[in-house]
Amino acid sequence: MKKDVVSVLGEFTTPQTLLKAVKTARKAGYKAMETYTPFPVHGMDDAIGIKPSKLPWIVLICGAVGLASGFALQTWVSTSAYKLTISGKPFFSYQAFVPVMFELMVLFAAFGTVFGMLILNRLPRWYDALFKTKRFHTVTSHGFFLEIQAQDHLFDIEKTAEYLSEIGGTNVEVVKA
Amino acid sequence: MKHQDSPQLAGFLANQFPLIAFAVGTAGLALSAISYLVNPERFFFSYLTAFMFFLTITLGALFFVTIQNLVRSGWSVVVRRIPEQMISNFGLMALFFIPILFGLHTLYEWTHPAVVAGDHLLITKSGYLNLKFFLIRVVFYFSVWILLARTYFTRSTTQDQTGDPTLTLKNQTTSTYGILLFAITITFSAVDWVMSLTPHWFSTMFGVYIFAGSTVASLAAISLLAMILRKAGYLANTIRIDHYHDLGKLLYGFNIFWSYIAFSQYFLIWYANIPEETFWFTDHFRGSWNSVGILLAVGHFGIPFLLFMSRHVKRNLVTHAMMAVWFLFIHFVDLYWIIMPNVSKAGVTFAWVDITALLGIGGIYIGVLFTRMKKYPLFPVKDPRLSDSMHFENV
Repeated sequence: MKKDVVSVLGEFTTPQTLLKAVKTARKAGYKAMETYTPFPVHGMDDAIGIKPSKLPWIVLICGAVGLASGFALQTWVSTSAYKLTISGKPFFSYQAFVPVMFELMVLFAAFGTVFGMLILNRLPRWYDALFKTKRFHTVTSHGFFLEIQAQDHLFDIEKTAEYLSEIGGTNVEVVKA
Repeated sequence: MKHQDSPQLAGFLANQFPLIAFAVGTAGLALSAISYLVNPERFFFSYLTAFMFFLTITLGALFFVTIQNLVRSGWSVVVRRIPEQMISNFGLMALFFIPILFGLHTLYEWTHPAVVAGDHLLITKSGYLNLKFFLIRVVFYFSVWILLARTYFTRSTTQDQTGDPTLTLKNQTTSTYGILLFAITITFSAVDWVMSLTPHWFSTMFGVYIFAGSTVASLAAISLLAMILRKAGYLANTIRIDHYHDLGKLLYGFNIFWSYIAFSQYFLIWYANIPEETFWFTDHFRGSWNSVGILLAVGHFGIPFLLFMSRHVKRNLVTHAMMAVWFLFIHFVDLYWIIMPNVSKAGVTFAWVDITALLGIGGIYIGVLFTRMKKYPLFPVKDPRLSDSMHFENV
């Protein structure tokens, strides 16, 4: 097996044929697969057997940290660091803390979402091997692609490429880094 | 399509259940009438709370139907008949308003000319808060609601027969001014019937507050009704988990909206600290009412915010149903906390009429609802977007 081979890519004409091919390949034992389509295809997540993203947990934790820091910051500032009497209200006026707590929660959660998404997707990347293939540019208009990746335990350049054409893939290409 | 659900309600839910509901309702109303003889003041306030509970749920359903028609929503088509049935109860709610007309002098301080005459603020407000204009508005609100509801319902059920797709477009056109009329009527009716219990108070957020609460309660009621039908073997392949998931998302979102509005109303008044505004909260935090206020903060916001957040809770019908029941309960607590401190000033006091009025109005409401349900298909069988809706998937 050559070291620079990343995956094998097959093209399909419709979302239905792609979905069917994914299901067949999964039954055949392939696990490290990825599909690329011009629009989201319903049922694809289940077909590939993708696990639910960890992102919501990251966002939840970031939001909670934001909320807590908003509360801690204001409590510290207004009860000990810089006491100010504002319209005769107590120093510890938790009601007044709520808007800032809310805003910091949103801010931290938004950061968590964006950076968490980037990290989980291993982004940014300088380039992707797929961009070097001949057909992949059609993915933004009408191309539906199934990629079987080299780390799959069943992966073998010739056999997998053959298998891809067998299950209906056309223009099968070997993707090299 | 794998399996087509029967659109026709039959059996227990169509025959015995409405009768049971009518029996409970009649008993509830009879017991409430007895409590009127004992303590008329308490009766009117409890009755108003129960009335507002079912009115707000119906109004929330009107909002749901209007907004789904307005945005040409595809996913909600299979759900839409349930709120369409609910809004057809506006005529019934108009009948239930009649007892309140007899209690206007008990409920609303501003209806007494002698009180108004000696009160600068009430004199200033009397251009709006006077009996004649109040009654005109009552007629206006109910006319708008009944007309809108009838229009949506008649077109939708005519389409069940004819399959005419232009009816969908007509409903969309109606919903454009329908949503404006809805916004105006729910705001002003909330001000008239609930806020004017304390006519000296000022709050520009009160209408939105009632709107937020009604949408939450109504979405919970729609989910629950769909689940009751599902339990009886209807709509199981029509209203699927994906639809419940979306109803749950709307419910969750609108509950946060309620929290946002409730807090904003409190926060601005707390911050400004002007006696004309703060007295309302002082009255509603007096004695054990304070605990009810805390229950609302924790139970209407805190607990559902954490428990109902996960998609698994929304997609699991058992947990979804439990949350929906809780939302309905806490919506009642919300209305109870808004209305009852006007009569039970020192703290929470329980009276049987609180429950009998709720059972009375609720029993008749549910009885009428299910009696009408068996006359029409349970989902819009010939809606042009029905197939979209049935194949809807929630990512």
